[in-house]
Amino acid sequence: MIIYNPEKMIKERIQEANDLLSQVKAKYCFITGSFIYKEKYKDIDIFIITRSKKKITTADKKAKITIIDFNDLHSLFYHSVSKSCISKNILPKKPLKITISDYWNVINEAVPVLLNQKNKYHKDIRFLILYTEYFKTNNILDTYQLNKKIEEFKNYKEILKYIKEQAPEIIKGKIKKSYLKKFFYTQAGFYKDLIGYNAQRFLYNLTHLITQNG
Amino acid sequence: MVNPDEFKGKIKEIVSQQYNIEFLGNNFDQVVNFLTDIKAKKIYQWISKVIEREAQPIFIGSKKPYKEWSLNQLLVFRYPFSIGKTEYRILFVKFKDSIYIEFHLGDHKYYDKVRKDLDLKKNSY
Repeated sequence: MIIYNPEKMIKERIQEANDLLSQVKAKYCFITGSFIYKEKYKDIDIFIITRSKKKITTADKKAKITIIDFNDLHSLFYHSVSKSCISKNILPKKPLKITISDYWNVINEAVPVLLNQKNKYHKDIRFLILYTEYFKTNNILDTYQLNKKIEEFKNYKEILKYIKEQAPEIIKGKIKKSYLKKFFYTQAGFYKDLIGYNAQRFLYNLTHLITQNG
Repeated sequence: MVNPDEFKGKIKEIVSQQYNIEFLGNNFDQVVNFLTDIKAKKIYQWISKVIEREAQPIFIGSKKPYKEWSLNQLLVFRYPFSIGKTEYRILFVKFKDSIYIEFHLGDHKYYDKVRKDLDLKKNSY
């Protein structure tokens, strides 16, 4: 058993997690999330890195298995979930590869989802917060820090405000002015035709904030 | 238990258009069979919200092709729901903000595949 960044973990859960992992028929598997941090938990998040297409199950009814492909080890998602966890073996590591374009795609999808889900957003804004905080602070949040950050928001309107405040500054600071204007003017043109939808109106206004004094 | 043909018929009736919507998904009929009447009713209500422009679409500003269309001609509406412990997603695709062309229904694996086709999922996520 390997424990990565155990600071916030509940000690008794470490052994329980180890017992659970020993039932999983995979070399690279790990547990993170509420099971190791919170007294009360809903699911046990087990992540398995494998190329196998066979369905992997455990006897525990609360276990929620997520398969990670070896090609996804560069992702911010993998770097986040594996940052503080209990693992069966030493986990494979690959350098992080993310771009501002990925970040824009995350925002583009998160805004309509947020407006549809309203205050049931907790599961759907994880990437948005992860990306924003990474580009803002250069720090990858682990699952404990990510949940804590999400809990700071009182409602979906606060998250929209957070996007409006953070995203333009981040994007302006990361890409060349000429490319920024070209890309976001094109995006604005697309959104303009869909301005009848609140999501695309929000994104249209966001493109303007990004290109202002960009 | 919901009958798949009735389910499709009801959706076509709500959408009410000449163009034939394609219903797609691995085990589409089987998943519909597992729906309760209440869950099916919620899906019909959501379809009505889409038609009334109350649901927000995901839009990809890219000229990349998707079948015979380009992505920037499409709007994608997403509806998540679960049956027991399994999570399912509906992706309802609209062309040029006028006609509905595809209704995808499937589990996480199928959803991920369609998201990749629609350029919504990047490997780097």
